[in-house]
Amino acid sequence: MSSPIVERLRDAVSQARWNEAVALLQTSAAPQAAEALGELPFEQQQSLFRHLPLDLAAGVVAQFPYYHQYVLLHSLPAGEMRALVDKINPDDRMRFFDELPEEAWQRLMDELSSAVPADTSGRHEPETARVPEPKLPQPGEPIIEAFQIEKSFEQPDGREIQIIAPMDLSVESDSIFALLGPSGSGKSTLLRILSGLTAPSSGSVRVHGQPLASCAPNIGIVFQSFALFPWLTVLENVEVPLVARGLEHPERHHQALEALAMVGLKGFENAYPKELSGGMKQRVGFARALAVNPEVLFMDEPFSALDVLTAENLRGELLELWIKDQIPTKSIFLVTHNIEEAVLLADRIVVLGTHPAKIRADFRVSLPQPRDRKSAEFLIYVDYIYKVMTQPELEPGPFTKLPSVRKPSFQVLPHATAGGMAGLLEFLNDRGGKEDLYHLAEELLMEVDDLFPIVDEAVMVGFADSTQGDVRITPAGKEFAEADIAARKKLFREALLCRVTLIQQIQNALQRKSDRAVPLEFFRDILDEHLSQDDVERQIETVLNWGRYAEIFTYDSETDRLLLIEASGTANSNETVPLH
Amino acid sequence: MPQSIKNGSSRPAGWGIVPGGATSLARELPIVLAGMGVFYSVIAFARYWSGPIGSQAEISLHPAALPKYALFSVLRLAIAYIFSFVFTLVYGYVAAYNRKAERFMIPLLDTLQSIPVLSFLPSVMISMAALFPSRQLGIELGSILLIFTGQVWNMTFSFYSSLKSIPAEMREAALAYRLSWWQRFWQLELPQAAIGLIWNSMMSVAGGWFFLMACEMFVLGSRDFRLPGLGSYLQTAANAGNMRAILWGLVTMIGVIILTDQVVWRPVIAWAEKFKVEQVGAAEIPRSPILTLLRSSKLLPFVTRSFVLPLREKLDLHFAKDHETRSVTKGSNRVPQWALRALGVVVLAAIAYAAAKMFSILATTSAAELRHIVWGAGATFLRVETVLLLAALWTIPVGVAIGLRPRLSAIVQPIAQIAASVPATALFPIILLVLIRAGGGLGIGSIALLLLGTQWYLLFNVIAGATAIPEDLKEVCSTYQLSVVERWRKLFLPAIFPYLITGLVTASGGAWNASIVAEYFHFRGQTISTIGLGAIISQATDSGNYRLLLAATLVMAMIVVTINRLVWRPLYALASDRFRLEA
Repeated sequence: MSSPIVERLRDAVSQARWNEAVALLQTSAAPQAAEALGELPFEQQQSLFRHLPLDLAAGVVAQFPYYHQYVLLHSLPAGEMRALVDKINPDDRMRFFDELPEEAWQRLMDELSSAVPADTSGRHEPETARVPEPKLPQPGEPIIEAFQIEKSFEQPDGREIQIIAPMDLSVESDSIFALLGPSGSGKSTLLRILSGLTAPSSGSVRVHGQPLASCAPNIGIVFQSFALFPWLTVLENVEVPLVARGLEHPERHHQALEALAMVGLKGFENAYPKELSGGMKQRVGFARALAVNPEVLFMDEPFSALDVLTAENLRGELLELWIKDQIPTKSIFLVTHNIEEAVLLADRIVVLGTHPAKIRADFRVSLPQPRDRKSAEFLIYVDYIYKVMTQPELEPGPFTKLPSVRKPSFQVLPHATAGGMAGLLEFLNDRGGKEDLYHLAEELLMEVDDLFPIVDEAVMVGFADSTQGDVRITPAGKEFAEADIAARKKLFREALLCRVTLIQQIQNALQRKSDRAVPLEFFRDILDEHLSQDDVERQIETVLNWGRYAEIFTYDSETDRLLLIEASGTANSNETVPLH
Repeated sequence: MPQSIKNGSSRPAGWGIVPGGATSLARELPIVLAGMGVFYSVIAFARYWSGPIGSQAEISLHPAALPKYALFSVLRLAIAYIFSFVFTLVYGYVAAYNRKAERFMIPLLDTLQSIPVLSFLPSVMISMAALFPSRQLGIELGSILLIFTGQVWNMTFSFYSSLKSIPAEMREAALAYRLSWWQRFWQLELPQAAIGLIWNSMMSVAGGWFFLMACEMFVLGSRDFRLPGLGSYLQTAANAGNMRAILWGLVTMIGVIILTDQVVWRPVIAWAEKFKVEQVGAAEIPRSPILTLLRSSKLLPFVTRSFVLPLREKLDLHFAKDHETRSVTKGSNRVPQWALRALGVVVLAAIAYAAAKMFSILATTSAAELRHIVWGAGATFLRVETVLLLAALWTIPVGVAIGLRPRLSAIVQPIAQIAASVPATALFPIILLVLIRAGGGLGIGSIALLLLGTQWYLLFNVIAGATAIPEDLKEVCSTYQLSVVERWRKLFLPAIFPYLITGLVTASGGAWNASIVAEYFHFRGQTISTIGLGAIISQATDSGNYRLLLAATLVMAMIVVTINRLVWRPLYALASDRFRLEA
């Protein structure tokens, strides 16, 4: 069945009347236009596609399934393809990228990043007035190199807990290095090892080939909490490292003032830190770090304690100093849990996995600065990192260097509440059951650190699936989202008892006791074997929240004991497990 | 406007000579006079110190002698305080940074804190008299060391915990920027500890006044020690039953205490504002006219600029360079490991020897003496608990009433602070006089004295707790029309609980220590005492019965430490766990 428009289109294309064909498509809505285009022989499709104005092409191409889209895009020269990808509306583009198989996506990525957007006005005169290829930062000499560094802590009972699995890392000159990972992944510890604040349990760190211990590396550090001395004025704070280097009075003063001027704090020399806002405090932190003209600038979550706008502003200013070579710093090492921040700043990104920390991905970001958050390439990187971070079992993608990651033998509960999960599931259900994680974080104004555990929780109890950077509600999850509070508790209880090891262990232990009570200490000891002290406390907090919500057990803080809830409802529901 | 800004901008720009002018001279005069006064008194004290032993037995009860006595006492307290400060820095530093040493230094400190001053007396006195047999210096140093043992421990604890609570990132900043120990100490550690040290210093000096009478005049076996000072004046007046002299002494003491408060503590507190890490609800910034005077003075900045700052600069740079070179030639300057081990062995051997000696002395304690101690401990225990109960009974309602009314609190607090600063021991002779007239004995008198000494800790803590109750919680109570009883049960008592516990911990330890002066008193030429552990310790000191002194002291230390561990610490944990009002 071919509609009249398709007939006329065929006619026009076969006689190479391109303007008429384009006009035909322009009069139709995008879906119809795409349908008509799809009816043509493939060679003709490509030819016609090359003649479409950019907007129309972008609207039409998004209607096709991803493989078709991919091929159509490749009928264009690289520069035009990039311009077109930029034109596709972000939602469609994200979906397209999500659906692409890894290899295809990888190739497209490479093509896009090496291409320059074509001047769209000169579309019909190809090869005209191309912007020169932007210079991408090239990796330079290694400054700090770490070989097989590993870190473990001894528990009070003498057991060793590995925080960082052995890994190699190197900080190179002329580049910004971002270490990305969920909280508690040991990224701050890695920063401290590389900067010489902490010694690794094994392995070695070398600075310009010298062992770190025997030389005093010229570094500056910016801390998340600013770490300013509240009793010193701004100027005195900046002078602290200069005094330590034995710089004498007029010179020291001059150098400190220069650093302050660089971060825009001229006139605040005599203020005390407590008189300043968070952003200004961090500026002092930057001035103090830059005052010593460090070779490597370490930054430990430098923007995390600031509000979004302040952070954005400060990030931009830092980047400007860096790009324009206004600071003598040769390399910046950034630790962050903010994916966009990493892609925005870094030339190289290493993504860490947890328990213990290990490299999940290590790749370069080949985008010229300044970077556009809305550009296709930017989003591809963001999306890719989401995929890596949400899927511990994911085979290493195009960027990863390391072989597959072993799944931890021990089930670690994500640190999230039952209430948070309920909120997520309701939201997902309202959105038709599927959402891109990246969008979800953006719409809920949540940091990855807050969102991921909730998603993990939903996945763990079988209320959601998370694949390829998407989260999808399952039938069980849908039932949960639409149920009332009592039914929700029942569903959650059943899910926990069949999927969560720790909850099962607790229930078994409680049922075996005649008084239906077990000291919490007992389960703490079990967890102690696998986790560090802080992690144990987080696990306990989580399991208490889940178990109480599900009404499986309750906790008496007075006696520090868990008590089994033996409501008649529990017994009944155990017998009538729904069969889906 | 914070004071710090004003301070920063009002600094004169140049390094020139002090500008003259009548007004500025009038402003500088008190500072110059104060400096000369301090200089003179040090000279006078030094001359007296180096003199031979002899005239100490005569304590004149004439009011004209009081200024001199007051000066001597103040100097004694000041020197003891300086010793305490130095000790605090060294002990706190080692305990905070040496993990192995920490393990025994902190429990040791805990124990030392629970030993009453008088128990140190014999050993301190004998060793000092042996060191300087023919000079006044020996006995003076002994007295100063006694005062020192009464005020040092809480300062050390405060410094230690301040060092421990330095935020990790600040420590890392100091490490990453390679601060020398000198710079780290002045720019990080001491400022961090400043506020805690200042408040504990005030408490310590107040404690010094409390035990001054016991520290300046005592009998040790057959020898009678008397040092010219306010404490011995009051004690002598009490012995003689001279009411006029007692009043004179008391007025002088209160005057000196208030003067110290105005001239030393207020300015220091106002100055220390800048060391506050966070300014939470800084509705009232402490002010001090003296500090304002000092700050507007031109003389002081001149001295600072021409001597202090250049010196500091030199020292800073010297230590920085030292640190740089040392960190490159790693550890060549360190004490070798074997030397530290040897030192450890020597210390352990000394402790073992002392313990063995102690047990051999204790082994000879007779059953009668032991029974005596047990009875005494029981009596003091009951007395201390009664005092705590009485103090809680009146301070909780009064404190809450004051704390809930900001206006009342603004009037009552300063008065209460002055009342609290009067050492109860100085009032004791008057109380005893009244009690004896009314027909009571030391049994009630000691309770009154302990109450006078310890109730303030409770009162101030309860007021602080009641002030901290959030407005919205009070509104909830009025909205749901809770009855008075319900209000107390649901809001006031839980809200002040952590504060109450803090007050009780301090009061309990203080009361045990104070029992040595409360249960045994020389009055009108005779010794009045009641049954109790404090009386046993005092009497054993007087009669030179070291075995009994040692045994009784050990029992007291054990009781105090045990009560702390078994009662106060769990209660404290409960308070901070369950009853803390989150901001």
